[in-house]
Amino acid sequence: MVVQLIVSGLLLGGVYALISIGLTLIFGVLDVVNFAHGEFLMLGMYVAFWLFSLFHLDPYLSLLIVGPLLFLVGLFVGRTVIRPTIGATSAVQIFATVGVSLIMMNGALVLWKADFRSVPTSYGSGTIALGPIYIGYPQLMSFLGAILFSAMLFPFLKYTYLGKAIRATAQERRAAMLMGIDIQRVYVFTFGIGIGLVGIASALLAPIYSIFPSVGSQFVLVAYVAVVLGGLGSVPGAILGSLIIGITETFSGFFISPGWRQAIYYAVFILVLIFRPQGLFAQK
Amino acid sequence: MKDSGKIKWIDLIRRDTEFSFSLLGILVLAVAIGFVRNPFHLDILIMILLWGMLASSWNIAGGYAGMFSLGHGAFIGIGAYMSSMLFIHFKLSPWLGMIIGAVAAGIVATLLGYICGRLKGHYFALATIAFVELANISGVQLKELTRGSEGLTIPFRPGWANFMFQDKITYAYIGLAFMAGIYFLSLIVERSKLGYYLVALREDEDAAKSLGVDTSRIKMVAIGISGFFAAIGGTFYAQYILFIEPDTVLSFAFSVQVALVTIIGGMGTALGPIVGSFLLTPLSMLLRAYLGGGLSGLHIVIYGMLLIIVVLFLPEGIVNTMKAHLKKDITGKEIG
Repeated sequence: MVVQLIVSGLLLGGVYALISIGLTLIFGVLDVVNFAHGEFLMLGMYVAFWLFSLFHLDPYLSLLIVGPLLFLVGLFVGRTVIRPTIGATSAVQIFATVGVSLIMMNGALVLWKADFRSVPTSYGSGTIALGPIYIGYPQLMSFLGAILFSAMLFPFLKYTYLGKAIRATAQERRAAMLMGIDIQRVYVFTFGIGIGLVGIASALLAPIYSIFPSVGSQFVLVAYVAVVLGGLGSVPGAILGSLIIGITETFSGFFISPGWRQAIYYAVFILVLIFRPQGLFAQK
Repeated sequence: MKDSGKIKWIDLIRRDTEFSFSLLGILVLAVAIGFVRNPFHLDILIMILLWGMLASSWNIAGGYAGMFSLGHGAFIGIGAYMSSMLFIHFKLSPWLGMIIGAVAAGIVATLLGYICGRLKGHYFALATIAFVELANISGVQLKELTRGSEGLTIPFRPGWANFMFQDKITYAYIGLAFMAGIYFLSLIVERSKLGYYLVALREDEDAAKSLGVDTSRIKMVAIGISGFFAAIGGTFYAQYILFIEPDTVLSFAFSVQVALVTIIGGMGTALGPIVGSFLLTPLSMLLRAYLGGGLSGLHIVIYGMLLIIVVLFLPEGIVNTMKAHLKKDITGKEIG
């Protein structure tokens, strides 16, 4: 039973990781907490839904469309709303992304109503039995997808010019600027990449969860917790934090009660913010 | 300057133009309410006053102290639920319940200020989101007390003792009295030592600390006052709407709306939240009335656009921007 809970928790954590990586990348480079992150996830899930219901496109294929599409949306929002707030007061930064979130969530409500939609794939409720342990097929796929795309992110950040520019800007933006890096472009691109990752996450999640205008807020709250747990701005920290939250959630859902399980990680979240605001694994 | 920290009322009314104009404005509003006959217009007016008081209470922590709470729904909900539950389960007058709820919310807020006071900017906002979500989960799960997501319907037994009235006009006058109360309190805070401490804290916390301002205590006081009055607004909401549920008064969405009314109006001024409410509340109610349920959410889309526009182009909010312009116009150049 315990093994089953750990496995389910890790799979769930993998899903959270894909959402958290984008959030932490954006924070690390732009120093902005994207309060609209969940709404980009929601948008991506709707795109995956429409691609499925109009063109019968499997979500695992449509992620090749949803990811780049959300990347472009991210570039647009990054250019128009986010870039002008860099270096502004935290009130400006917080409420600019809150505004984006309000527009997207309620725009979806106006366009697509509050109905719950789902992507009824043939494998949606399929399970794989590994001895006594059962693994949901779409959960496994989203976990593998999360690993694949975060594994692709590391060499990108490490070896490409843009990746190096992103890391340089995250470390010391003034020095990066003096070295000839166009940091304004780095900001917009980083925001686009973070949103593109959420786009991939949304396609991977579409077969598992119902889709409705406020679906993003639940996931993004978990992502905040995971990201703060791992240290805001740290990509490996975000992955680790997500796995911890996933396991915590399945355990507290099993041993306490499903209704209260989210209360546990909000409480953990506040405690971490108070006692280790730099994250659990920070060296400093 | 022996008593620089004290305020003389008579001086305020005689010398302080903002104070005397505000008094006049409240009187004009009071007379104007008497002339409103259309129940829908009266409804709009009451909601303006309600959002004015909620935003004004947010402003005390968010505007003056720079504590950007996205969790004020928790305090509003404590007020709404406390007075309603005491009324339903113990038949206690909502007036008393309101005071109890406000004290409870004030204590909870002070504790939150104590626990999270050190957190700055984004981190504080994140902590308050987690806080309102915790409050929301408690509201949903403690079914014996709150009826969970079903919501709580307050039985309508009109009368002064029960804080319920057949005619809307009484609600309007009570709402005006409450809003005026918080407004004048904000004006007094602005002119008091506490107000200067708060502004010092918001502008540069480290500098304020080095000059001997006990910033952590000031923060607790600010959010405590803020939570106290938010809860009073919550009771007023419950007594007027007669129905509360965790997904309205105890929600993140509600908290965001309280904050955005203030931001658009102008943070850190007494008038800002009220101007914000006078602009946004009628907008949302008219949109909802004329477009119907088919386009629910449209008013929030417009709120969001206004929020982004204000934040990017008038980061000081409408009232502060207008004040700066007025000062420029009179003297030809900026003063103060």
